Amino acid sequence: MGAFIALGVFQGAVYGLLAVGIVLVYKAKRVFNFAQGEFGGVAAFTAFSLVVSLGLPYWVGVAGGLAAAVAMGLTVERVIVRPLESESRTIMLVALVGVALFTIAIIVLLGQPIPRVMPPLVQGTGLNLLGAGILPQQLILLAVLAVLAAAMAWFFKTDLGLAVLASSQDTRAAQVVGISPVAISRLVWGMAALLGGIAGLLYAPVGIFTPGFMTLTMLVPAFAAAVLGGMTSLPGAFVGGIAIGVVQNLGIYLLGQQLKVPGAAELGVFALLMLVLLIRPQGLLGKEA
Amino acid sequence: MATATMTFARVKVQRRFGLALRVTLVIALLAVAALPLVYGGDVWAQRISRAAIYAIIGLSINTLTGHAGQISLGHQAFVGIGAFAAAFTASRLGAPLGFGLAAGAVAGMATAAVVGMVALRVTGLYLALVTLAFGLTAETTIFNWREFTGGGAGAFAPRPDILSGDRAFALLCLGVLALVLYADWRLVSTKAGRALAAVRNDERIAATLGIDTTGYKLAAFSLSGLAAGLAGGLFAHWNQVVQAMDFEFQVALVWVLMTVVGGLRSRLGVVLASAFFALLPLTLPNFLSGLPWQPPFLNEAVYHVLPPFIVVVMLLLVLRFFPGGLGQLLRPATRWLTKGGRR
Amino acid sequence: MSRRQLLKVEGLSLRFGGLQVLDDLSLTVREGRIVGLIGPNGAGKTSCFNCLTGIYRPQGGRVFFDGKDVSHLPTHRRARRGIARTWQNLGVIDALTVTENVMLAQHQRAGYSALAGMLGLAGTWHRERELRRDAAEIIEYFGLEDVADERAGELPYGVRKTCDMAMALATDPKMLMLDEPASGLSPEEALALGTTLRELRDRLRLTILMIEHHVPLVADVCDYVYVLNFGRLLTEGEPEAIQRHPEVIAAYLGGAAEPGAGSDGGTVPVAAADGPPDWPLVPEGPHSDGRPDGTA
Repeated sequence: MGAFIALGVFQGAVYGLLAVGIVLVYKAKRVFNFAQGEFGGVAAFTAFSLVVSLGLPYWVGVAGGLAAAVAMGLTVERVIVRPLESESRTIMLVALVGVALFTIAIIVLLGQPIPRVMPPLVQGTGLNLLGAGILPQQLILLAVLAVLAAAMAWFFKTDLGLAVLASSQDTRAAQVVGISPVAISRLVWGMAALLGGIAGLLYAPVGIFTPGFMTLTMLVPAFAAAVLGGMTSLPGAFVGGIAIGVVQNLGIYLLGQQLKVPGAAELGVFALLMLVLLIRPQGLLGKEA
Repeated sequence: MATATMTFARVKVQRRFGLALRVTLVIALLAVAALPLVYGGDVWAQRISRAAIYAIIGLSINTLTGHAGQISLGHQAFVGIGAFAAAFTASRLGAPLGFGLAAGAVAGMATAAVVGMVALRVTGLYLALVTLAFGLTAETTIFNWREFTGGGAGAFAPRPDILSGDRAFALLCLGVLALVLYADWRLVSTKAGRALAAVRNDERIAATLGIDTTGYKLAAFSLSGLAAGLAGGLFAHWNQVVQAMDFEFQVALVWVLMTVVGGLRSRLGVVLASAFFALLPLTLPNFLSGLPWQPPFLNEAVYHVLPPFIVVVMLLLVLRFFPGGLGQLLRPATRWLTKGGRR
Repeated sequence: MSRRQLLKVEGLSLRFGGLQVLDDLSLTVREGRIVGLIGPNGAGKTSCFNCLTGIYRPQGGRVFFDGKDVSHLPTHRRARRGIARTWQNLGVIDALTVTENVMLAQHQRAGYSALAGMLGLAGTWHRERELRRDAAEIIEYFGLEDVADERAGELPYGVRKTCDMAMALATDPKMLMLDEPASGLSPEEALALGTTLRELRDRLRLTILMIEHHVPLVADVCDYVYVLNFGRLLTEGEPEAIQRHPEVIAAYLGGAAEPGAGSDGGTVPVAAADGPPDWPLVPEGPHSDGRPDGTA
């Protein structure tokens, strides 16, 4: 059971990364970004192509993957989000669902729908914690998270960061600081895509991955994490991610292994999501209703 | 005085002639549409069944999203549960097909009503999230529940002798589609349609006019689930075997997008777009392999993802240029055809 | 004053966070009367309407309608008891035509169930034709027949406002609640509205509760007036008494009203659609020259 909790924390950290991207977009644009998972999908497949297929160094793969994710984020912002800004939020949501499907289709078209194995950055057995074998990959994850958290804490104290946070309430606030709303919009989508890309690169080496793996397995837990954090809190989304990861793995342990219920992980996340939405819709850490 | 009478008479003649022309045209169009069923053999009969099933699914999503303004990204759960319920009734209980279809419809409705009850406490974007999560959860739990779905091998749904022929089955599917279309038409033409329009646009206004907004939204969920379950039941007997992999979440997303492409609240648009996306995976491989030049990356697996690819491209075009979808494009024609009649 | 009490409100209190919107508000509307609810902007008039129709859930107080406690009924059940309202920003569904809007308002007296309609049962076709005929009658009464088949969203403000009123009437109410029926109307239109309201009261025996800033209209048609200030009842009485009430004048000219609003000279400012909180009741002298005629 300890092993499941430890596993949950690491998996939850990746959910948290995606959730932070989701919250960032929601704060700035009041839309649910159903394409968030595929930023990670694009990053993972680009990195795989560069490292495994072309045999380039690992860091080239990482840089290429992240660049691809950010390029996708900016493209989505320009081609989908800005033209549809005046449409209803349902239409925007349908369009973003379309983006996710489109991306999966492109990945399949270019690279066939076969499972792939991404090698981890560092090989080795690592150490043992609570009965779970912690791989070096997961220690790297922790280091990356620490750096990211520090960077974001710093960023949101700068003028630019504050303008981003204020943009949902008041487009004029951004203009007062001298930044155009368009620039903010680009920045938000670029950052969300970068976070999604990092999540994808961290998650892909954990097991085999197939086209659409991020949307299929990560998106709903990530959204649940964002909701748990109240949809507007960046640290809340991250903490929520870890909580979801732990609940999911406890679900696998209790329901799946002990009671043999199929789909225990999904069931656990769904139940938690419903509980939060019905009992405490403002989230565990959210402030306003 | 005389000229006035003559003008009047001419207008009358023109009007009668116009009506005859329009009726002839509609009959001709229907006849053309029926050609593949008559001369196309079993292959086309199967395709028409599939198109009709997709059209019922499209209309089911239209009921929820078009009429009630609620979104569902988990429709594969309702259709899938309907399909498994029908298969279970047919193969395990050995009941006649009608019972299976009814069981599918009831199962779909019950599931949708439960989801609706929970989902109505959340709104808008959260509803999309809840339905998406529900669809994925149903996919991995209910559809993998061995006793109910027969596990990996799937559940069998044999057809009775009278419907064993593909043409007879196609007629059944078209008949059910006709019923669903009729119900949708009456729904929007009577008080429920107006009430749903009010609920969709402004719930406060609707409530002050005496409309039970929660009740109507729940009814829309149930109705949508009923049609989806019915479509699932037909699908089970169409394929004669149901497997969990038939109801992946991408399928549900394609359904939502195809309905939007067809045009929310446009029966004709939804039916045409649904039929198009039903036939695409069946006809595309033949079409592509018949091309003089073969793109290098094409293979079986790719055919599988082309429909989502195409639906997305169409969606983006539609959203940019015709927010009303195919229905908006066709509106001048349909308006002329139904001229004089009420909407 | 021996008429039956149709609406009775006891000790209504509404808070939003720390803001006391309504404070122990009590009022009574007798059957067949036109009662005015006036007060500076932000006094809580529309909030009061929202509490009466069940859109807001007040923290305290009770609402009796037609002799029964309706405090815990949801909005649509109150509507079915006979409470109809119009909206400041219009209760018209833009996507529907004027006829469809009026038929929408006939929802509760359609006489068939939604399911029967969907199945196309025989009686429903007949009832639909009857509803359409009734709607045409109401539309004609309000002079909307030329735009009956136009989408409401494409019509000018004044026409949509009339449509809103037609809809409230089409619900076949016992009490009509009007939220600033004269805003956005020209002075002539406002006078015509007065005639209409009196006609509704006298011929259809409707009871009317209305929020209004337009003084001549209030003075012209209201039998009784309640004055709200900061969510509390400031005073109540017949319109001409209210106009001379020192506290009322102070409330409008003092703290609540914005500086520069109205009252220079004897002209009566007509409140614009979403305009400044004009001082509607003319303070100087008993004979306000904005009054259309001598009636009170």
